[in-house]
Amino acid sequence: MIFLKNYKSLAFVVFLFLVALIMLSYSAKYGQGGGVFKNIVLETAAPLQSVLNSSVTTVSDAWKRYVFLVGLEEENKKLNKFIGYLQSELITYREGYLDAQRLGEILALKKSVDYPSVAARVIAKDQAALSKTILIDKGSAHGLKKNMPVLVPSGLAGRLIDVSWHVSKALLLIDENSNVDAMLQRTRAQGIASGAGYRGCVLKYITRDQSVAEGDVVISSGMGGVFPKGLLIGAVSQVEKPHTDLFLNIRIAPFVDFSKLEEVIVLITEDGK
Amino acid sequence: MSYIIYLLLPLLSISLVVLQATLADIFFSGRLVIELSLIAVIYAGFRMELISGSVFAFITGFVFDCIAGSVMGLFTFFYSIVFICSFIFSLIIDSSRLLFISLYSFCCALTEKMLVILFYKLFLGFDASTGLPFVFLSETLLLGLLAPAFFYLMRRLEIIFYGKPLQRAEHTGSG
Repeated sequence: MIFLKNYKSLAFVVFLFLVALIMLSYSAKYGQGGGVFKNIVLETAAPLQSVLNSSVTTVSDAWKRYVFLVGLEEENKKLNKFIGYLQSELITYREGYLDAQRLGEILALKKSVDYPSVAARVIAKDQAALSKTILIDKGSAHGLKKNMPVLVPSGLAGRLIDVSWHVSKALLLIDENSNVDAMLQRTRAQGIASGAGYRGCVLKYITRDQSVAEGDVVISSGMGGVFPKGLLIGAVSQVEKPHTDLFLNIRIAPFVDFSKLEEVIVLITEDGK
Repeated sequence: MSYIIYLLLPLLSISLVVLQATLADIFFSGRLVIELSLIAVIYAGFRMELISGSVFAFITGFVFDCIAGSVMGLFTFFYSIVFICSFIFSLIIDSSRLLFISLYSFCCALTEKMLVILFYKLFLGFDASTGLPFVFLSETLLLGLLAPAFFYLMRRLEIIFYGKPLQRAEHTGSG
């Protein structure tokens, strides 16, 4: 073997081997070794280890963040779903609360009027331009008859014009065909409150010499036998005194917001047919 | 040129040991050690010159002792033995076959682990055999699998740097 001829190389290897053996023996016996060389190795390795560790930490952090974000996306989906569920619950409860409030007002109204009454829920609204009517979920089976007045807590809403067994149609106060015997609460001047569509109502047949001011309250007069006396209709919003006409042009703003009718009560009057 | 190699060897050894510790941390959370340094020493025994190879094995063992915190000199001594054995084997057997490299690395690693256990038991009175055999076996198997890949990569590097696989003087007859 060629390498055996080179005894110097072999001697060097044997020397290294012996150094290692001595080091091991020394270390096993005294529990330490390496001395300054060990410190040099550690000092050299430290920055390298630090660089590698920081790189690994960066990659590891990025990975963890990625995994976290994946988890976050899932969690976000779940939470969004849960939010949707909670919102629908909230809407249900809010609706229930509003229902309760309105029904409370209807109940208070029922107690306040001198007539027996039937509470009903509005089930449909006639969307025709010239017809202002609503359908309610009570009919003749509940004691309802034609021409019975329909009320809401804020005032008179209309009267029944068609009564079926379990459904009735009410003509609203603002319908062009609606006429209610009315009077001004302050002056007691009597007239007819007619529907005027989107403009509300007009009060007819109040003579020029009557004192009418904006804001005067208009109530039912009790004449005609359809509506009991004293039901709130609206307030005078505009008064015109024409030069040639005998009567004043009086516009009434109804107290009832007809776009928000949900529950009503129907007064069981003796005049109902 | 050869002096530069001797200056670079310690840095190479330190980098190797630090790298293997980092890899162990990344892949096995420090539970298993991928002892690339042992494969490197075997590679040195198979491919490098006697003196530079023995210096490399000595330094790598020393660095491993310093950084791994084991008994000082244990791996220095063991890596020197591995280098000498590998060197002798490479002269007798065709050491370029991957299966041989794999089996030889596995045997070296297994012997190393057994010697470590024996050393701890005989000289330090510490019984390392309980629980550790599974870890040691996993490490040796891993090493046996990684060794051919390491040798293959080194061969590619040799071709890149020298234009052909490295052949030492003992093989060419010029040493």
